[in-house]
Amino acid sequence: MSLVDGLLGPEEPEVGCDDCFADLDRYVELELAGEDPDAHLPGLRAHLAGCLACREEHESLRALLADDAG
Amino acid sequence: MDPESRAWVDALAGREGDRDAALGRLHALLLRAARFELGRRRGQLPGLSVAERHDLATQAADDAMMAVLARLDDFRGLSRFTTWAYKFALLEAATKARRMAWRDRELPRPPEDWVAVADPDGRPEAAAEHAELLAALRAAVAEVLTPQQREVLLTVVAGQVPLDVLAERRGTTRGALYKTIHDARRKLRAHLAQAGLLAGEGVSGR
Repeated sequence: MSLVDGLLGPEEPEVGCDDCFADLDRYVELELAGEDPDAHLPGLRAHLAGCLACREEHESLRALLADDAG
Repeated sequence: MDPESRAWVDALAGREGDRDAALGRLHALLLRAARFELGRRRGQLPGLSVAERHDLATQAADDAMMAVLARLDDFRGLSRFTTWAYKFALLEAATKARRMAWRDRELPRPPEDWVAVADPDGRPEAAAEHAELLAALRAAVAEVLTPQQREVLLTVVAGQVPLDVLAERRGTTRGALYKTIHDARRKLRAHLAQAGLLAGEGVSGR
């Protein structure tokens, strides 16, 4: 992410870290099922774009489930 | 709720089957996730011995287990139980790893010349636009943000300090700090939009 993007953050409305964590499991399963998770959980994609810590954990959960599916 | 998830919840709540066995399976599941996360972060923790890595994974799994059991009633079956449980272990392991990587390190002050590390995409016209935007951003950061918003935003974005690390040092939470960043970003966006530097800007958040 560029410095400008980091300073300005996502343009769209976003949830906070707590709401992101609460829905992260469902979000990842919807993604892996080929559905559009943002249609079900608006604001979470924007938060992942703006929050590095939550984005890393999102990537880890996706990777872990992929590893399980193996 | 799918049958497998229902079985997990019933066993962990002590309503059905062998609770101790379910607790053991849960801990093994969480330990696998914690080890997985620490494995992904191996490069951030170069000085960690195998034994220390094992201890860190075990601590993360233990803490995640407490969190999962404390919040068992929150599980609604909107995902598989194992996916839901995994995220607690990943959070614990990631947070511990970030904090350990910054252990004994002073947090950098927001760099005075943070604009200097900006990165235009190389095209001359883009570089000119970028320079104009950066100049406006530098002014906006100085003028419209509170001292706390300025320090948190620059420490995390320009100083690349993880939110969890800054939260620990300040005795607050990741969510509270992110709210500070979010509010600062909204101010910056509104300021730049007013100056005509951000097209079609809808500044909002929740």
